[in-house]
Amino acid sequence: MNGHVVVDTLPYLLRGTLWTVTIAVAVIVTGTLGGVVLGLLRFVPWAGPRALVAWAVELVRAVPLLLLLFFIFFGLPALGLKIPTFPAAVLAMSLWMAVNTSEVVRGGIQSIPHGQFEAARSIGLSEIQTMSSVIVPQAVRRMIPPFVGLCTILIKDTSLAAIIGVFELTRAAQETIERTFKSFEIYLTAAAIYFVICFPLTRFAQRAEARLRRP
Amino acid sequence: MTGYSFDWSAVVRGLPYLLEGAGLTVLISSVAMVLALILGLALAAISQAPGRLGRRVVAAYVEVFRNTPLLIQIFIVYFGLPQLGLKLSPFLSGLSALVLYAAAYNTEIFRAGLEAVPHGQFEAARSAGLGELQMLRYVIVPQAVRISFPALGNNLVSLVKNSSLVSTIGMVELMFVANDISFNNFRTLEIYGAAAVMYVVIVLALTRLLHAAEGRLLRAPA
Repeated sequence: MNGHVVVDTLPYLLRGTLWTVTIAVAVIVTGTLGGVVLGLLRFVPWAGPRALVAWAVELVRAVPLLLLLFFIFFGLPALGLKIPTFPAAVLAMSLWMAVNTSEVVRGGIQSIPHGQFEAARSIGLSEIQTMSSVIVPQAVRRMIPPFVGLCTILIKDTSLAAIIGVFELTRAAQETIERTFKSFEIYLTAAAIYFVICFPLTRFAQRAEARLRRP
Repeated sequence: MTGYSFDWSAVVRGLPYLLEGAGLTVLISSVAMVLALILGLALAAISQAPGRLGRRVVAAYVEVFRNTPLLIQIFIVYFGLPQLGLKLSPFLSGLSALVLYAAAYNTEIFRAGLEAVPHGQFEAARSAGLGELQMLRYVIVPQAVRISFPALGNNLVSLVKNSSLVSTIGMVELMFVANDISFNNFRTLEIYGAAAVMYVVIVLALTRLLHAAEGRLLRAPA
């Protein structure tokens, strides 16, 4: 064990952390927007599009993120679509985030008791009004814990971007190890940095869930 | 878009190897899950035991492994531990990292399951004259497992997908095989496509199986 090497390499690891956060924010923004749209599409009055979205979401969710990433980065160039590492990683992760967020949205809306729909309709609200002023406001509260949980998983999984060579925390750790050969200390430090980011989010999700269970 | 001509014969030629990889993915995930269930249940039991120390150690383990990337955990086991004199093969490194990661989630699921068993069940078991271990074995754990089953199933599905990460340290499974073939014949689109289909088949079959098992479990008498 060598403590010096950690102190010496910390600035470089923190520079990687900045990119990890950048990727995570970009993915959470785009993936959430996509996920909300996909999730709401599960409640449109047309059966065809509903079924299509349900199938697409189930298929993409069954594929490991690493394979999605390799498919986009190594596979798509065969079709003439050559995407650089950074956007390839953001694209693959946004796709992953979108399908998983859509499940959170669907679950949240479906968890609202049916009586709420009926009550809203019977006081004369339209289909759209029912959703926007009765159902969604209640559903959003229930979506927060699983959504924050999803964000935590995403932040951890941004480490996969290192495998295709994107510079972020894990890649910064790998580069540092190539110079210093101190894999144990450096990976442990990287793990600690991920922990510092993820643990507060996990705690927040737990508290939010406990608050929901209280009447 | 250039006129890309698909060459599905590459998939046909690679099929036996890909299927072998898919089999290994199922095998690795199953073995890892069995070990992670045992470890998770043991740790959840420890965290229920009297005394604060056990509870704190287990909570620390759970939080550390759930809040750090699996990829880094795999790298620490495979690249980091040899520095401390513990050198494991890619297979053992990958397997132990997967077990430790999945067990952290299982521990939390079992703990929540144990705490969800109504308090009256404990009192009833004690007043029926059962010892602590008998009470756990015959009354509490069976109910906790039933409560935990759906979450454990989700964790198994995640484990199947997460097992793709061990390909990065050279453990042979479906993802490793797909990389191996496509880096040799450059038919990346077809080979990754075929691998994706295999993951979808495994995951959907598993989901249906778990769903059926859950239905039977809920109908069965206690």
